[in-house]
Amino acid sequence: MININNLRFAWQKEPIININAFSIEQGQHLFIEGPSGSGKSTLLNLLGGVITPQSGDVEILGQSLNQMSSNQKDSFRANHIGFIFQQFNLIPYLSVLENITLPCTFSSDRKQKALSRSGSLQKEAIRLLSALGIDDTQLIQRSVNELSVGQQQRVAAARAMLGSPDIIIADEPTSALDNGHRQAFIKILFEECEKENITLIFVSHDSTLKHHFSHHINLLELNQVNIKEAL
Amino acid sequence: MAILSLAFKSLLNRKLTFFITLFSIAISVTLLLGVQTLKTETNSSFMKSISGTDLIIGSRGASSQLLLSSVFHIGNTPNTIQYNTYKKISQSPAVEWAVPISLGDSHKGYTVMATDLTFYDYFSFANKQHLSVEKGAIDNDMFAVVIGSEVADKLNYKIGDQVIVTHGGGEIEGHHHDNIPFYISAILAPSFTAIDQTLIISLEAMEAMHTDNHGHFGALPGEQILPSDKHKDHDEHEHHDETAHEEHTDHDEHEHHDQAAHEEHADHDEHEHHGEATHEEHADHDEHEHHDEATHEEHAEHDEHEHHDEAIHEEHADHDEHEHHEEATHEEHADHDENEHHDEASHKEHADHDEHDEHEHHNEATHEEHADHDEHEHHDEATHEEHADHDEHEHHDEAAHEDHDDHDVHAHHGHQDTQDQRVARLLKIKPEKINAIFVGLTSPQAILSMQSYVNNYPTEPLSAIIPAVALQELWQFFSLAEVALNIVTAFVVLVGLLGMLSIILMSLNERRREMAILRSVGARPGHIFGLIIGEAGFVCFAGILLGVALLYLLLFTLQTPLASYYGFYLDINMLTPNDLSILAIIQLSALIIAFVPGWLIYKYSLSDGMSIKF
Repeated sequence: MININNLRFAWQKEPIININAFSIEQGQHLFIEGPSGSGKSTLLNLLGGVITPQSGDVEILGQSLNQMSSNQKDSFRANHIGFIFQQFNLIPYLSVLENITLPCTFSSDRKQKALSRSGSLQKEAIRLLSALGIDDTQLIQRSVNELSVGQQQRVAAARAMLGSPDIIIADEPTSALDNGHRQAFIKILFEECEKENITLIFVSHDSTLKHHFSHHINLLELNQVNIKEAL
Repeated sequence: MAILSLAFKSLLNRKLTFFITLFSIAISVTLLLGVQTLKTETNSSFMKSISGTDLIIGSRGASSQLLLSSVFHIGNTPNTIQYNTYKKISQSPAVEWAVPISLGDSHKGYTVMATDLTFYDYFSFANKQHLSVEKGAIDNDMFAVVIGSEVADKLNYKIGDQVIVTHGGGEIEGHHHDNIPFYISAILAPSFTAIDQTLIISLEAMEAMHTDNHGHFGALPGEQILPSDKHKDHDEHEHHDETAHEEHTDHDEHEHHDQAAHEEHADHDEHEHHGEATHEEHADHDEHEHHDEATHEEHAEHDEHEHHDEAIHEEHADHDEHEHHEEATHEEHADHDENEHHDEASHKEHADHDEHDEHEHHNEATHEEHADHDEHEHHDEATHEEHADHDEHEHHDEAAHEDHDDHDVHAHHGHQDTQDQRVARLLKIKPEKINAIFVGLTSPQAILSMQSYVNNYPTEPLSAIIPAVALQELWQFFSLAEVALNIVTAFVVLVGLLGMLSIILMSLNERRREMAILRSVGARPGHIFGLIIGEAGFVCFAGILLGVALLYLLLFTLQTPLASYYGFYLDINMLTPNDLSILAIIQLSALIIAFVPGWLIYKYSLSDGMSIKF
């Protein structure tokens, strides 16, 4: 599913990522434990094809990102990967519905999948939100600024899932949530990813979440760079 | 398109900065287009100042000066040309019409232009429109004045009002020709040309004011200015005189003549103001005549007396008050020989010299025409000086006229001639000098040959200008100001666009999160770039639309006040291709300027990737 080979990335000659070999199987729920400064964000950007490594290769779904132009990488990301971030995941000037359907703007593949599933993007958005525990159908017309942080994260999850991408990368999606919501969020996320057969990569510095995942890895161990900032 | 819709929604999310940017661009666009419109309209109003005139002829000199003075009444009056030249040119076969123009006087800062009635027939402006009369009627009378609409509005003049003309132009006080008041016979409709700020009088009146003595002709020999109260007494009688002129066999007027001094002549008064029938008798009644010393000499023949009478009757049938001054004179000088009010010495001279030396002081035309009723009408300077006291009388006289306006029902237009006016009429003054001639030719093909003919006119140096060409040349003088104005407005637009740039730049930092989110869902850096360009393009486009709307709002609001207060008619047109290309340049500039933040955000999105670092 995802193969990383001799991946090297340096920011202004300072090495940040140095991973010799790493792979993730399809449908796997992987927990990557990484304190801040461990190269977490850089690794996610490399996986998303947003930045290009100095050497080495990332292969996703059998396709090497190195072989793609930056436009192709952007399209590939739009088609195959959904992202959930820590907080403020949503575009403030768009409604809940517009935020959820945003990937369709850039990926006709995912739009088609969403349409074939529910008939309309709005129905699919409502379906996803309801699956994520938001049953208020009026909510989708509202401004995202009116939502609670928990609701915002679930809207972000719905966006990441819309059109069934192959991979969801979640970067500290629960750090803004209190413990109760955090557990519920992870549970729902897992259920949906399993149902859709989505590979989930969950990155967090919070090792207490580790037990939810079948696979976990510590980025400090994986990444060969001796990181001073980690101190 | 999705990106543009995002850009639009993003803008609406930042309403305050959006509207500030929008308005700053709109206002700069309004200003720019407003300046363009004003420029176009000023130009067109400038070009519309005269039309249908093929040539303007004046004395040799700069064509712009001739144009400025004759059409715009601006600047120095050029040298004069002979009226005879006008006559000759108007008789030229290629000339369809010719209108003489004389300038140089003013009234309360407004130009006084002298011309003749053909001016109203031939002068045209804009699209060959002729001047039209709003109130009153154009009067052939020598002392009638037709005023432009602005003159009437600003000075609040009505038909029949009196106007005193000042020598020289501008607001600077020159000699007031207050001995020759004009009455307003007509007010012209606005033409939005210099005519609106002009008073139009007859050439004859202009000439009269500019005789050597500024039209202070003094009293006619044999007549004296009457004190105002007596004047009053005689108003009625004059009226009678006028109406019952022929039937005066009953000698009505005798009553108001000569109560004191005229006793002896009581039965012969009529002769004074009447025609030939009574001339025979004049021989006997010299002393009570309104004639002077010289007249006395020659009264035996009565020649000039007769002419004088004719003159009166021909021209001034309605100006009998002239006579009533005589009466006054007679009264005042009851105990005097009429001649007394003239210098004894000169009297002697007159007696001695049939040739009437003093005529030398008069100009040729007058002299010729009035050779036969000379001295008693014309006062040489010597006489004039002696009549210093008479001048005062004249002023009294005038004052009296004003006082008596109510009583002057019999006078035409409520206007009574002053002494000098009466004299001026009697003199049958003919214009001698004019400043310019407006010429219409029979065919446009004749313009160049006529111009060359005029430029090589044999008897005096003339130059002829083609108004359309001269206007165009003159407009070039303004091109520098035009360029300056263009530069200023271009900078205003630039400032508006820079304001937009700074607002977009300031928004970039807070939008890097937004960009990262968009990147994560698959937006390319090009999309992010497009977002910024689209935003700038949209703001600018909306600003332009608003600016154009504001412009038209402004134009429609200002149209009436501009026309009524400044005599500037603003023609509201569609945007010209020039305007549209300016707008296109502004729009393009906005897009180009937006490359700066666009490029920055592009760099950010490449380096930030999906990381939200803020």
